[in-house]
Amino acid sequence: MGIIGFFERGSVTEVDRIVAFEDRILVTGAAGFLGTHVVCSLLNMGFRRIRCLARSTGNLAGLKKEIDSRGGHDRVEVVIGNLLSREDCSELAKDVPLIYHLAAGTGTKAFSDAFLNSVVTTRNLLDAALEHKCLRRFVNISSFAVYTNRNKSRRRLLDETCPVENHPESRAEAYCYGKVKQDELVIDYGQKHAMPYVIVRPGSVYGPGKDFIPGRVGIDSFGLYLHFGGSNLIPFTHVDNCAEAIVLAGLTAGIEGEVFNVVDDDLPSSRRYLRLYKKNVRSFKSIYVPHAFSYLFCYLWEKYSDWSHGQLPPVYARREWSATWKKTYFSNRKIKDMVGWKPAVPTSEGLQRYFESCRKG
Amino acid sequence: MTMLKVAIVGCGKIADSHASQIQRIPGCEIVGTCDREELMAKQLAERFHVKRFYDSLDALLRQGRPDVVHITTPPQSHFEIGRQCLEAGCHIYVEKPFAIDATETEKLIALAERAGLRLTVGTDEQFSEVARRMRRLVDDGYLGGLPVHIESIWCYDLGDGAYTKALLGEKQHWARTLPGGLLHNTISHGMAKIAEYLPGESPQVIAYGFVSPFLKRLGENEIIDELRVILQGEGGTTAYFTFSSQMRPSLHEFRLYGPKNGLEFDEDQQWLIKLRGNRYKSYAEKFLPQTSFAKQYWGSFFRNARLFLARDFHMNSGKKHLIEAFYRSITEGAPVPIPYREIRMTSRIMDAIFTQIGGKTSCLLGSEASGNV
Repeated sequence: MGIIGFFERGSVTEVDRIVAFEDRILVTGAAGFLGTHVVCSLLNMGFRRIRCLARSTGNLAGLKKEIDSRGGHDRVEVVIGNLLSREDCSELAKDVPLIYHLAAGTGTKAFSDAFLNSVVTTRNLLDAALEHKCLRRFVNISSFAVYTNRNKSRRRLLDETCPVENHPESRAEAYCYGKVKQDELVIDYGQKHAMPYVIVRPGSVYGPGKDFIPGRVGIDSFGLYLHFGGSNLIPFTHVDNCAEAIVLAGLTAGIEGEVFNVVDDDLPSSRRYLRLYKKNVRSFKSIYVPHAFSYLFCYLWEKYSDWSHGQLPPVYARREWSATWKKTYFSNRKIKDMVGWKPAVPTSEGLQRYFESCRKG
Repeated sequence: MTMLKVAIVGCGKIADSHASQIQRIPGCEIVGTCDREELMAKQLAERFHVKRFYDSLDALLRQGRPDVVHITTPPQSHFEIGRQCLEAGCHIYVEKPFAIDATETEKLIALAERAGLRLTVGTDEQFSEVARRMRRLVDDGYLGGLPVHIESIWCYDLGDGAYTKALLGEKQHWARTLPGGLLHNTISHGMAKIAEYLPGESPQVIAYGFVSPFLKRLGENEIIDELRVILQGEGGTTAYFTFSSQMRPSLHEFRLYGPKNGLEFDEDQQWLIKLRGNRYKSYAEKFLPQTSFAKQYWGSFFRNARLFLARDFHMNSGKKHLIEAFYRSITEGAPVPIPYREIRMTSRIMDAIFTQIGGKTSCLLGSEASGNV
């Protein structure tokens, strides 16, 4: 997986670290794409008591394979459970000072499902953590999806100071709704219960094992691939880089209450990515839609959706356009400065590895 | 005009479509949402601008004082929640399947009748544009008498969706714990259509169910996802019911054959075709029917386009029409949209099916496997 251990990188010294190698660390969503890499990163760094929560529906075989390949079976405890169960949460959070909370409601179009699996689960876990009174940090994994990308002080730049969607229900994206509400809940617990937390917002996480073209590049809903991204940068972060950023955000002292965006350096443009994908993975026809036209398309769709009382759901609307296809630059300055993270896998190498895995299927 | 006060109990996925359709209907207002998980009740209330939310049914019934309660919880709780609502003087709209079995169904209907209240079940596909058109044609005598034979095909694409993953991965998933498992939660729509047109109350049922090779390959040996049923009602009318997770195309079709003519519709593509009983002479039969079919398909295309342009072609339009008809039965004393005979018959047929295939991966056809319900 190519993780560079953090002692080698020297980014967090023992003095700066908020937990010891013997402390128990909980990783939820551990059998997911990113979760598995976070567990590997923790193992590579030498942590000895990692508790992994996985759903019975997760890729358990993949997680176990990665653990075994690092000889970590005696350092990792894999628990099959459900965060909707308060009993499971209580068991999981027992004697755990550091929680990486990656489990979330993904892949659903239903707002209630996204809410249930992102917010209710997080509330149960937070309550359990507070009950045991040993939590030193709750690392909440959020997403770039929460940013509105409208009315920003610095027009093109998206960083941690940018506003979050104030009406996520109108984004017609259940995942965004769930994540905004999850972040609100964590911040609320931080304020009301003095619960120490950090929020990490990865961009578009890519890497071997996940063949996809981000929605930021375009859509294929109408039988032909419409390329909306053009010269826009894609906020990619290689899964190894992202996992390490998350782990460091959990370990570094003195960053309570902070929000960190995670994107790699040397980001490719949407046009370049699409060209490379077609060349390296599979060829298909696409049509570039200039930004003015994609904006007009979203505007008209939104108006029709309103006029027809939702006969067409507002999946393409101006809010969605701003969040996804507006020309934007991304910053990773804050996480580099405060946590000492540096993307170990350069984008060119990461994309090469990724395309290779896509080809192999 | 008095506003009809509506409440929704159970704030999961299906509650969204109830809330959005209710809000399209004039003369009613959602006064409260309710879920045992307060956060869920709150999120639904927030998204649909409902003023109050509750985490207890008691509080909803006492403080919200709704006229109608939509019950959108898992089926295991329908009876108990329905009973409490009826006892509190509320009319109830119960999501499908109506109840766990025919006994619960009978009890709820009896309770409603004793209290002078109305109830209905959420088999809203019976109120889609094509289903309503078929009903009008049947009422106008197009079939030429009672149906001779009925066919209902109701497919369910397991795909790789979240529901299927959860269903396969979690042994305690609520749908698995129903007496009929996956079938219990999915066949009501297709079966309710048969119950509408099958005469009598107690049809004969012969069921054959099995686990598809697809699920077996995934290591699943308990969930029956293929079902074939033969039914016979009063007067000799027969029906075939097909449920499949594997056949392609994944159809939702319904066919009615009378002594004179037949009718057929497709729920997904929203077309209805008249099947004329008379035959043309000689070679004309080889050429002329096709022109008639072509004309009817084009007719469906233009009808759908017209409805779309008129903003009356929503994905859940059947639900809106069913809810409207149900509310009219409350406010204007009109007949309930789904007669209780049909709700009873659907429950009884489902009981008979699950008894025959229950606990087995397959069930042999034969006299010992069939029975009156």
